[in-house]
Amino acid sequence: MTPVAVMVGANRIVQAAGIIHPLGSADLSPADEKTLRRRIVEQALQALRTEVVKPTVFTRE
Amino acid sequence: MRGAPRLRRGGPNVGGLGAISGPHVIDVVDGAVGAARAVQQALGDAGTVVATVICGDNYAAEHADRAAAELVAVVAAARPDLVIAGPAFLAGRYGVACGALCAAVQAQLKIPAVTGMHAENPGVELYRRQVYVVPTGSEATRMLDEVKRLVALGLKLARGEAIGAPAAEGYFARGVTRNVVVEAAAADRAVAMLLDKLAGRPVASEVPRPAFPRVPAPRLIKTLEGATIALVTDGGLVPRGNPDGIEALNATRYGAYSIEGKTGLDAAQYDNPHRGYDTTWVKQDPNRLVPVDVARELEQSGAIGKLHETVYSTVGVATTLAHSARMGQEIAEKLRAAGVDAVILTST
Amino acid sequence: MRLELRWCDVEELTAASATRLAGRRLEVDLDALRALLSSDARLTRIRLDLVHPDERCRIGRVFDVIAPRAKVDGGEDFPGVLGRVARAGHGRTLALSGVAVVATDQQTENVGILAVIDMAGPNAVLSAFGRTHNVVISAWPASGVDRSDYLAAVRLAALKTSVYLAQTARDAKPDRVEVFELPPSPRVPVELAHLPRVAYVFQIHSHQRPTGLDEGILYGDPVRRMLPTIVHPNEVLDGAVLRGFMGRSVTTWATQNHPMIRALYAQHGRTLWFAGVVVTVAHATEPERVRSAFLTAGLVAHTLGADGAVLTKIGGGAPHVDMAQAAAQCEALGVRTTAVVEDMSTDGSAEGMLLFDFPGVDALVNVGSSQEPITLPAMDRVVGADDLAPKLLGETRTTYGGLCGAIEQIGATRVMAEVR
Repeated sequence: MTPVAVMVGANRIVQAAGIIHPLGSADLSPADEKTLRRRIVEQALQALRTEVVKPTVFTRE
Repeated sequence: MRGAPRLRRGGPNVGGLGAISGPHVIDVVDGAVGAARAVQQALGDAGTVVATVICGDNYAAEHADRAAAELVAVVAAARPDLVIAGPAFLAGRYGVACGALCAAVQAQLKIPAVTGMHAENPGVELYRRQVYVVPTGSEATRMLDEVKRLVALGLKLARGEAIGAPAAEGYFARGVTRNVVVEAAAADRAVAMLLDKLAGRPVASEVPRPAFPRVPAPRLIKTLEGATIALVTDGGLVPRGNPDGIEALNATRYGAYSIEGKTGLDAAQYDNPHRGYDTTWVKQDPNRLVPVDVARELEQSGAIGKLHETVYSTVGVATTLAHSARMGQEIAEKLRAAGVDAVILTST
Repeated sequence: MRLELRWCDVEELTAASATRLAGRRLEVDLDALRALLSSDARLTRIRLDLVHPDERCRIGRVFDVIAPRAKVDGGEDFPGVLGRVARAGHGRTLALSGVAVVATDQQTENVGILAVIDMAGPNAVLSAFGRTHNVVISAWPASGVDRSDYLAAVRLAALKTSVYLAQTARDAKPDRVEVFELPPSPRVPVELAHLPRVAYVFQIHSHQRPTGLDEGILYGDPVRRMLPTIVHPNEVLDGAVLRGFMGRSVTTWATQNHPMIRALYAQHGRTLWFAGVVVTVAHATEPERVRSAFLTAGLVAHTLGADGAVLTKIGGGAPHVDMAQAAAQCEALGVRTTAVVEDMSTDGSAEGMLLFDFPGVDALVNVGSSQEPITLPAMDRVVGADDLAPKLLGETRTTYGGLCGAIEQIGATRVMAEVR
């Protein structure tokens, strides 16, 4: 749903892992899920430190 | 049909009523005076201008609430069926005052109102959603023609007649949508529209492009290690029992929930009324929605300075733009007052 | 592929001692039909009601509506769900107009997700089902039957009823015959090669709510994580695609009578060449959504060779955005698009109508706002919702979305949100 965030003008947008589990995954083991959650949160923290001038989507490769 | 047009005073010092900041710069005169005579002419036999309300526009601009209240009282006393304000053309303060008066008269006295001004008058953008604003030229060169259009729409409103689309009736689009039934089914309209687009013919899209105001991106001044980070969500996290009664749809409320001392969110203590997605997984483990567990670890390891002890939460399905903006603002103010430096907002 | 729809127009529906079509009157042996449906052990207590246009009757707890259809010449009805998996869209199919099968959901307590049908009053005309003779099926779950099994059973009962009713027309002379014939996409006669090629991108499910294993949608497949694929439009018109169990945005009836496919067929060979149908699902994760969007665009542009595409969606905000992304990808490949959206605003403001702003995705048709309130007048009778009857008999406030058939997102309806 990142296009909605871009449209309304949110400046820093980090892609979550899914509608039904934004910071988790039904397919991963609990340990792996926690690792994924950590990566997303760390990415969010990185985005907070990043200077942006317009709505920017941060994706994980 | 009784009308009460509002006429602009030529300037703050006309008529011997004293300086701009004088207490009482509102006059009401029986019948049609000045520009209001054009209104009476346009009305013909359809109605009578029972009063003309005159107000200094500086007064209206500088003492907006008081002026509006006094004007409403004056209008109420005249007992009109319709209020016509302006036309304000390009006069900004006048246009804003006209819009404000019409909005107040509609809301408080339930009397239909209409105003008119040029497209670039700031009163248009401020009031077109609440009030019918008729487009006019930039100056009063064809006053009677402009007033006729104002009166025509005003009479329809006063008679309770159905008002058609903006282009047909001649008013600024109010940005309001309403369901109507049209001749052709949507699928047929879509095929016709595509054929127009392919042929390079003009396309009348049935949805206007959205225009959201840009918000300048704030900078994080502190380092992450020194910053207080708060977690906010619109994914519907609530404590068991939903004590704040956050609505499952069209939410107008949000909750503030303490995570002081918590190293994570315990599923037994939380619930989720959100109706826009399957909440099974986030109910199973609320950290999948609001990552308190990871955030606490980051705080403990020093990667962030502090995890703010309150999580703000609402339900973000079919929330209106107005309530979303209001809730966002209120939450932001609370967070700022609490010394929070940055927010991670998690959403589905 | 060539499909023949053989229509018998029904103007009366009555209960009788035997099931038959007598001219324009459909007579139904309700006991026999009830016995047929009762063989499903997942259901207990089956009730059938007949409801007619102009009756001051409100049907409640509406879950789905199915159009009566039956294959002749040994074809499979609703393949993969009722019949065996076999190709739909060719041969001859019997169809009844003027009659609909209404399936109700007697299990859920979350009645906000269900709809009503009004047979009289000012709103009856908003929906096709206010003007059809309706066979309403109410069935209760046998003990221990879970949600997914119950809904599968209810839908199956409705499909069986649809076939049962349409089979009455097997010996009748049809009132009209429609022929749908479309050669494979690349085989364009040279004299028609100048026509713009138009594809239809048909989103058939949204995984905001994942499908159950027996929630068959495409030839009985629950289309989980389905990648975009191509079907022949006749397959959609002949029972290969059903609506899933969630949401009120599209009925199976509308899919069977697919307005977009019919509209494209009507123009085919005249103002356009109908290049084909791409079916997609709306995904729940961004990577899947992105992949689906560019695969869809690839099929539309590189495989079907389309110059233009129309797109529809099914569901709420996420599928709306999903469709927009597919359209944006098509535009990026030079395919002009038109999308059918719903007014997503919840407060009647024009700014809230659209949830996206992609370059090129600017030709939009809207099917109205399903959130807009509507008042339904008091009625004399409620069918399909005994527990809600006290409330549904009186004047009722609901939304356009709560009136079954008032807004069909695939474009069958004439409600539109006008910006004022």
